[in-house]
Amino acid sequence: MRTVIRCHLLVITAVLLASVGGCATPPPADDPDAVADFKETNDPIEPTNRVMYAFNNGIDTVLLRPAAKAYRFVLPSPVRSGIHNALSNLGTPVQLGNDMLEGKPRRAGDTTMRFMINTTVGVLGLFDVVKGWGYPDHDADFGLTLALWGLPDGPFLFLPVFGPSGPRDAVGLGVNAAMDPFTWVGQGAAVRALNWSRVGLNALDQRERHLDDIESIKATALDPYATFRSLYRQHRQAQIEDLRKDKRATIPVWFPQSGAPDTVIYSPAESPVH
Amino acid sequence: MPNRRRLFLLLTTASLLSAAGRRLASAQASAGRASEFVKSLGDRLVAVVNGPGSDREKREKLTQIIDSGVDVDAVARFCLGRFWRNASSDQQKRYTELFHLVLVNNITSKLGDYQGVRFTMGRAQQRDDTDVVSAVVERPNNPPTNVDWVISNASGSPKVIDVVAEGTSLRLTQRQDYASYLSRNNNNIDALINAMRQQVAQAG
Repeated sequence: MRTVIRCHLLVITAVLLASVGGCATPPPADDPDAVADFKETNDPIEPTNRVMYAFNNGIDTVLLRPAAKAYRFVLPSPVRSGIHNALSNLGTPVQLGNDMLEGKPRRAGDTTMRFMINTTVGVLGLFDVVKGWGYPDHDADFGLTLALWGLPDGPFLFLPVFGPSGPRDAVGLGVNAAMDPFTWVGQGAAVRALNWSRVGLNALDQRERHLDDIESIKATALDPYATFRSLYRQHRQAQIEDLRKDKRATIPVWFPQSGAPDTVIYSPAESPVH
Repeated sequence: MPNRRRLFLLLTTASLLSAAGRRLASAQASAGRASEFVKSLGDRLVAVVNGPGSDREKREKLTQIIDSGVDVDAVARFCLGRFWRNASSDQQKRYTELFHLVLVNNITSKLGDYQGVRFTMGRAQQRDDTDVVSAVVERPNNPPTNVDWVISNASGSPKVIDVVAEGTSLRLTQRQDYASYLSRNNNNIDALINAMRQQVAQAG
C-alpha cells in the first residue's frame, strides 16, 4: 500500500510542478471594484487550481462518472441508500470526536445514539432507524471544527483527487483521516482490502448522489470551475452557520429552558394565533 | 410624583409593547403572505412538472409561471453585479432579455430530473426587507434538499428573488460564474452576451 501511495504522490507532485508559477494576475489598482472582487474571490493560485480542476475532471470523465452511473444502474435505490447509511455509520467515530472538539454536547449525544442504535437495531448501520426518533444526522469534520475555533477558510485550493478545498479544510482532511480508528486498526491483507473497499465505495456513493447536480452545473455554467468554487464556499459557510447556531441546551425537556426561543415568526404547521 | 412616574412608565411600556406587537404582527402577516405565495407557486410548478403534456407545452406553462412569480429583471441585474453600471443601456436590454431565456432554459432542461418531485412547506421568517420561506424538495433518486425561497415585495407584489438550496444561493452562484467569465474575457460584456446567446441557441 505504501508504494501505491508513494506512486500517487509522485504523480501529484509532477502535476503540481508542471503548473508551478501559475499565479493569478491581480487587477490594476485603479479599479477598486475589480480589486474588491479579486480579494473576495481569494483564489491567488487560480491558474494552478484550474490545472488541478482539469486533472480531476479527466479522472472523473473516464473513471468516476461512468462507475457512478453503473452503480446507479445496477443497484436499486433502497440498496444504495442502505450502503450510504452503513458508510456514514462507519464515519461516526470521527464525527463524534469532532462534535466533542467543537464543544457541542447535544451533537455528540445525537452521534452516540445514532451509532449505538443504528449499529444494532439498524443492522450494522444499513438502516437509519433513529432519524425519526429525534436524533438527526449533522455534518462534522475537522475543517468545520477549525472554523468554529475561528480559523478562516483561506485562499481557495483545488486539490487533486479531493477537489475543492482550502488550507483549513485540507488540514481538516488529514486530521480526519488520523482521527479515524480504521486508519490504525489491524494489519494484514483483509483489513487493507476492507479499508480500500470503503474508500472506493464512499467515492461511488458520493459521486452517485451528485450525478444529476454536477451534470446540470456543467451544462449551464459559463465557467464551471468558478461555479464549483462558489458552491463549495457557500456550502461550507452554511455548514459552519448550522454548527454555530446549534445551541441546544443539555437540560431535560421538562426543565424550564433558558435558551432563547427560535425566531419563528410564522409557521404554517402551527396556528399563527397565540 | 412617584405615582405620576409610575403611570408614565406604564404608559411608555404599554405603547412600546403595542408598537412591538404591531411590528411583529405585520412581520407575521408579511411572512404569512410570502408563505401562501410560495405554496401556490410550488403547487403550480409541481402540477406542471408532474402533469401531462409535451415538453413544449410544459415549457410554455413554466415560462408563464416564472414570469409571474419571479422578479427576473431584478435577478438579472443582481447577477451582472458591478458590470451592470458599466454596461450601455442597449447592452443591459439585450442581457436582460437573454437572461430571461437562459433562466427558463435552465429550469426546463431539468424537467426530466424533477419528474415525481414533491415538496413540503416549512417555516417562514422575515430577513431584512425580504421574507424567506423554507421548503423541503424531494425528488426520486436524490437526497431531500432544503430550499429557501427569498421573496421580495419591491415590485409591488410578492416575487421570488433568490432560491437558496442547502445554503447555496442560486443568484450569488450565477453572479460569480458571470464575474469569472467576464474577468477571463477582458470584462467585455458583449462577450458574455454572445456566450449567453450561444447557450440559448444550443438549448434550442
